[in-house]
Amino acid sequence: MSTPKDIQSTPRRFGRLWRFFQEVPLLGWLTGALAAVLAEQFVGLDLAHLVDLPKIPVLFGFENALKKPELIPGTVLYILMIYLAPTLLVGRLLQLPANRVAGFLARRWPVASVVFHLALLYAVLHIWSDINDYRVIVVKITLIAVMLTLSLNVINGYMGEFSCSHPGFMALGAYAGSVVTIVLFTNSSMYGPAVLPPAIGPYLFPVALFVGGCVAAVGALAVAIPSFRTRGDYLAIISLAFTFIVKSLIENLEIVGGPRGMRGQPDWSNLPVVFVCTVVCVAVINNFVRSTHGLALNAVRDNEMAAEAMTINTQRTKMIAFLFSAFWAGVAGVLFAHVLRYVNPGTFGLQQLAEVLAMMYFGGLNSIYGSIVGAVSINLMSEMLRPLEIWKWILIPLLLILVMIFRPTGLIAFRDFDPVRLIQPKGKERSKLEA
Amino acid sequence: MKKVFVVSVLLLASLVMVTAAVAQKAVTLKIGINAEITGDIPKVGEATKFAAQMWLEDVNKAGGIEVGGKKYKVELAIEDNESKAESAAKAATKLITVDDVIAIVGPQASKQAVPAGEVCNNYKTPMITGWSTNPNTTKDRPYVFRACFLDDFQGPALSIFAKGEYKFTKAAVLYDVASDYPKGLAEFFKKDWEKKNGPGSVVAYESFTTKDTDFSSQLTKIINSGAEFLFTPQYYNEVPLIVQQAKQLGWKKPILGSDSWASDELVKLCGKDCNGFFFVSHYASAGAKGATKEFIDRYKSKFGYVPDDVAALTWDAIGLIGQAIKNAGTITGDVKKDREAVRKALANTKNFPGITGTISFPPGSGDPIKCANIVKINDKGEFEFYKTACP
Repeated sequence: MSTPKDIQSTPRRFGRLWRFFQEVPLLGWLTGALAAVLAEQFVGLDLAHLVDLPKIPVLFGFENALKKPELIPGTVLYILMIYLAPTLLVGRLLQLPANRVAGFLARRWPVASVVFHLALLYAVLHIWSDINDYRVIVVKITLIAVMLTLSLNVINGYMGEFSCSHPGFMALGAYAGSVVTIVLFTNSSMYGPAVLPPAIGPYLFPVALFVGGCVAAVGALAVAIPSFRTRGDYLAIISLAFTFIVKSLIENLEIVGGPRGMRGQPDWSNLPVVFVCTVVCVAVINNFVRSTHGLALNAVRDNEMAAEAMTINTQRTKMIAFLFSAFWAGVAGVLFAHVLRYVNPGTFGLQQLAEVLAMMYFGGLNSIYGSIVGAVSINLMSEMLRPLEIWKWILIPLLLILVMIFRPTGLIAFRDFDPVRLIQPKGKERSKLEA
Repeated sequence: MKKVFVVSVLLLASLVMVTAAVAQKAVTLKIGINAEITGDIPKVGEATKFAAQMWLEDVNKAGGIEVGGKKYKVELAIEDNESKAESAAKAATKLITVDDVIAIVGPQASKQAVPAGEVCNNYKTPMITGWSTNPNTTKDRPYVFRACFLDDFQGPALSIFAKGEYKFTKAAVLYDVASDYPKGLAEFFKKDWEKKNGPGSVVAYESFTTKDTDFSSQLTKIINSGAEFLFTPQYYNEVPLIVQQAKQLGWKKPILGSDSWASDELVKLCGKDCNGFFFVSHYASAGAKGATKEFIDRYKSKFGYVPDDVAALTWDAIGLIGQAIKNAGTITGDVKKDREAVRKALANTKNFPGITGTISFPPGSGDPIKCANIVKINDKGEFEFYKTACP
């Protein structure tokens, strides 16, 4: 017999469990995750053999378990023992020192504290993906998707326009960046020998990223100017047209390979580069949207006429938002081209648009957290469910529909992202900090 | 507390169970399949999968592949690349680093095959694509091969046929400027035709953009140009529209096509309008003989439809891999060494009796030497083998 008391106690029991961990700061969790990936590095393979897995499960076991259900218990055990247990244990055990360190850093050098957290995060990612190159490419593509989603969120979320031009921006960036690196630093059949010595290439890769971003931003003028006059559906159509124009343009430009695409980009989009770009992108976009410009964007979204009356220069605001957003999409495009080392205009079509829109709306409008969560979850899900083949395209859209029904603005919408607050210590140390 | 106890007992029990289930494992050879199972061209992925599974059945019936006097069991690792370039690269990386495959078949479309070829070449894993005709796929990549002939080969094959069969001198071309494959073919054909018949012998060279459905202005120009035949290297879903509109506008001359015509969908969509036209193909289902016929009959009885060229080329591609494994000498169990041996054997393939023609790889190239088949769409709407053309 279940009594009402029993029903009530279930959430409370979870609550108690959570209370046990609630004073663990971000630093503690990161250390825990580091312990987990280190454990995998050293004993992962032995443990996998012990639970009868042929290898370390690369993406949390989904890649095998969906095809061979008999591996599910082993996979679950593995996940519990390698990821969950060390993270929770180390995180909880180090709660006190982690809080002290976080508190100390937050009081003395907040900047150093941020850098320290990022370094830890990178270490976790690096060690985790060190196990297998498949993880590296998944992480790289996912981080690029984060940048892309975030930049789209500036227009579609913060400014409230519906822009469909992101594949176009990305294509412009990808091609411009590829031309820079191929012409300057590689001996290619298309453009002849390298202009500059290839050895200095990796140090000048940021130049290629910048050029890619700028070309995309210049292209964005074509969408920004009509956006002064149109809104809503009309802007969506104009921006969609922009995507098609860019695609046709590249298809007809024989000098960049036409529809056959462009091959031979140097292999410079490695994990540290992509990670640093993503961090810079998140930081810059976050600062932008929390600045006066970003607040002006929200004002334009909520009521353009009122914003104008409040002395906001709406045209300038829109122009800045479009150029800014396109710049980051362009940078993401350059990175993308150098991960695949091949670009093809067919890649930047409607499918790409649908994907980035799905990631943004899934994650949440007007929110940095949302873009990160959306891009990471859609990318990982689509990777993990790959063995399901056609069923994957039923499951993921179904999830999207559910999210749209129960959280129409996305999972984590309209949330402020404050990195300084995020890395603060918890419990006693926080009250010390606030005092 | 009780719950914690129950959970830990369950965990322990399952741990004991799985450790007990550890069994002795023999060395198996894994072949990766990187196919377009979802996305724009699911039929291509399906045909790839089916052909590979049929091949696997044969191999397993024979008890595996015999290498150096020892039989090895073969497994397929099938990955869906969603018809996306980045997914194809991811799938190839996964097949190589997670599944430890000895060789990979696919991806089939060039958009996916070029980046996947990059990955395979970097990891020194032999890859063979059945269908991709972009020169970039195999260029400067010693580990990447293909089972089909190249686009630049189809142009000359067709011009030899049109010249030899009909003594034509004036050609018209209608192609999709936005798509890699038709555009390349149109260019190669134009170059070859003008070389043989003098400049200006391509009297109409008209283009459109992907997903256009109205070709009347281009077709009117072509009809007025006095061309003796029309060459349109389009995909099977576009050809019926072109043919039907041309006929409505009064075109009565032959229309020639490329291997992208080769799908049963073409006849379904076209009805009787396409009968009597020719195209270059890797293989023809009607009028096939010997091993080709056997393959077609088996495929048809197993999956319920006549296999298209993707299935046939996949069959040859995976057959080439199988033969290369056989000729590799020994299987060491060290997958890196085995891949190297398989690549060497594959590159040395001479006169492999494929169902799409006899295949050899010239030294230092992954592009095979083979003849093109000219196929006629006969009065029953079947693809009938007409003759071979060897430029």
